[in-house]
Amino acid sequence: MPDALTSTVRMPENGPPPQTFWSRVRARVFRPWMVKFCASYIVLVCLIAVFVPFLATGKPYTCIVPAHHGVPMQRKYPLFRDLTSVSWVLLVVTGALAVQGSCVFFTRRLMPDMRRRRRRVWLAVVTVAAVIASGLIVALHHNRLDATNYRSLAAHEKITHAIFAPIPWGYAAMEPLSKNLINKLPSQQHWLGTDGEGRDVLSRLLWSTRVAMGIGFISQFIALAIGVVVGSMTGYFSGIVDILLMRLVEIVESVPLFFLILTFVAIYGRHIFYIMVILGVTGWTGYARLLRGEFLHLRQLDYVTAAQASGLPLWRVLFRHILPNGVTPVLVSASFGLAGAVTIESSLSYLGVGVRPPTPSWGQMLNAAGNPATVFHWWQALGPGMMLFITVLAFNIVGESFRDTLDPRNAGAG
Amino acid sequence: MTSYIIRRLLLMVPTLLGMTFMLFAVVRFAPGLREAGQANVVQGMMQSKQAQKQEQMLVALRLHLVDKNGHPISLPMQYLLWLKSTCEGHLGTSLEYPEPVLKLIEQRLPVTLTINLISMIVIYLVAVPGGLLAAVNRDRLFDRGYGLMSLALYSLPMIWVGSSLLGFFANPEFFNWFPAAGLHATNTQSMDFFQYIGDYFYHITMPIVCSTYAGFAFLSKQVRGSILDNLGQDYIRTARAKGVKGSTVMLRHVFRNSLLTLITLTGMSLPGLLGGSVIVEQIFSIDGMGRLAYTATLARDLPVIQTVALIGSVLTLLSYLAVDICYAMADPRVSYA
Repeated sequence: MPDALTSTVRMPENGPPPQTFWSRVRARVFRPWMVKFCASYIVLVCLIAVFVPFLATGKPYTCIVPAHHGVPMQRKYPLFRDLTSVSWVLLVVTGALAVQGSCVFFTRRLMPDMRRRRRRVWLAVVTVAAVIASGLIVALHHNRLDATNYRSLAAHEKITHAIFAPIPWGYAAMEPLSKNLINKLPSQQHWLGTDGEGRDVLSRLLWSTRVAMGIGFISQFIALAIGVVVGSMTGYFSGIVDILLMRLVEIVESVPLFFLILTFVAIYGRHIFYIMVILGVTGWTGYARLLRGEFLHLRQLDYVTAAQASGLPLWRVLFRHILPNGVTPVLVSASFGLAGAVTIESSLSYLGVGVRPPTPSWGQMLNAAGNPATVFHWWQALGPGMMLFITVLAFNIVGESFRDTLDPRNAGAG
Repeated sequence: MTSYIIRRLLLMVPTLLGMTFMLFAVVRFAPGLREAGQANVVQGMMQSKQAQKQEQMLVALRLHLVDKNGHPISLPMQYLLWLKSTCEGHLGTSLEYPEPVLKLIEQRLPVTLTINLISMIVIYLVAVPGGLLAAVNRDRLFDRGYGLMSLALYSLPMIWVGSSLLGFFANPEFFNWFPAAGLHATNTQSMDFFQYIGDYFYHITMPIVCSTYAGFAFLSKQVRGSILDNLGQDYIRTARAKGVKGSTVMLRHVFRNSLLTLITLTGMSLPGLLGGSVIVEQIFSIDGMGRLAYTATLARDLPVIQTVALIGSVLTLLSYLAVDICYAMADPRVSYA
């Protein structure tokens, strides 16, 4: 590590808080405008993935059913009533993260004297509450399939005062298929046109962020977890553990990745959770190799010996003392891994072995655009292709900047 | 040298064994393996119960689930039996095609390997000069632009490029310049040799474009990095101080040392190319290994998938071996005693 990054600066007692390694890295990674732009794009895509049920759906936020046949007038909230459990869980998790983030931000600003441990307790309370809420949602919430065509109801004034989402089309076709909706060029109603089943391309484009980001993040999280455990074990205990686990790494690496993934998909099926696990289980070897190198170096340092000598349990030495010092190259690599996972997911969906329709995914939309090959609906290919390209590029640019910052060869620069 | 090669080959054995074990385990613990046999019987519905049962028995026998008398075989024995027949070259019979797997692979492997070889040559022809130029013009406009462009190319999704190429350039609606599918025209019989080769290259133009552009970016970045590393070395300064011409320093001193990185990357890129061939071959309807793996995946044709993965990994290991040998030959500092 370059000295300029690791040495902390001692500030006077009442001055600004001392700069840490991470705050310096963060400042340097995100300095170029391009990287800032890419990072905000990624955040935006994640937000879209969470809030897409409110952005692109055929159901109104609220509407009024006028009195009819003696039934009094009613106000209804179809959109909120029909949110799926996945949507609720995503909202809860995002809310918890937002609360925690603002808690950290404001306590740092307003209460610099607050002890870190006290703050940590509060953060943990929020986390536990979010986990419990998510569990309750998964256990108790029943997804409803509401096939009511609210647009036509509104047109026929069966409902009034309906407020629709900005893109008033869902990802699945809810109305009877009519010929004049299929494969239409972009128009005022359908900003990116419609596909072969008369569904709005833009709406499907936005809904696809869920699959892409979900599979990307969760699969890489699984890969990281396996890679961290295997890598730290091999690096810390040399000898027989190292030899055996490195053979395992070699074995997994020796099969061309896509063949391995296809093998797993053929056998275990193509449910979205399986695909997350499969991408995780096949993608951890790079992380393990990187961490092994770091651990081999770090375990010889004096502070590790000190930690061992003071009788700390093994997991604490491994994960609290060594890991934080060796985790940076892995995080860089995870940023590229995310880009790779998004690409692989879309390729699988393109080939028809990814997530099942009607769940939209960019790869699936690309496939539908040019199938059969003699009819190529370019507007259906443009959107998903661009989204895929920009998302992967954004992850790669952030990763590149991250790597350049941490590269010891660039220590003098910047 | 011979002893070095033999030692490397011996080192491959445990990896290969482990890999076969992994493939075996993955397939054996597949849910619904026993029903896998039913999918392959095309007229399964029309067959009598008896015939269906026989067919299932046959599949179970093929997969070494039962012995000839119909008794179930224990798992370790299953593995050993499978390994034995694999080593003898009996890779089983496809559940989908009425052919032995080996024959299927024999037909398709050369197709994939030829395309990958040509892609690799194209990649080198573009990436090496590009990386060299970028390194020479370090931090100037060319380097910045080239770096950004290669990052963008690297991020371009292959499925988008492939389907757009197919949609725009092999489509009577737009430009009907290239054939949409296959490797040969239908009238190959009446062609002479050069026409045949020409026709072949005409057919693989788009697949080659599709499978190379990401490689340019990756390789030229590596070439640039390794040349920059070498440029900072003392012996370069010495050569310059002696008065060696700039271009000679670049080609004879710097580039020769960067060759080592190139050798390593060549071997490393093979698994990626093999995996990528699944997508390219599927988009452009080329009957190669990748397409075989894909159709086998759809049909849950386990013997075929198993064998494709096996052969893919043997090829990968062999290419690593070739890298090590080339490395030892190219760099006198590497000892292989």
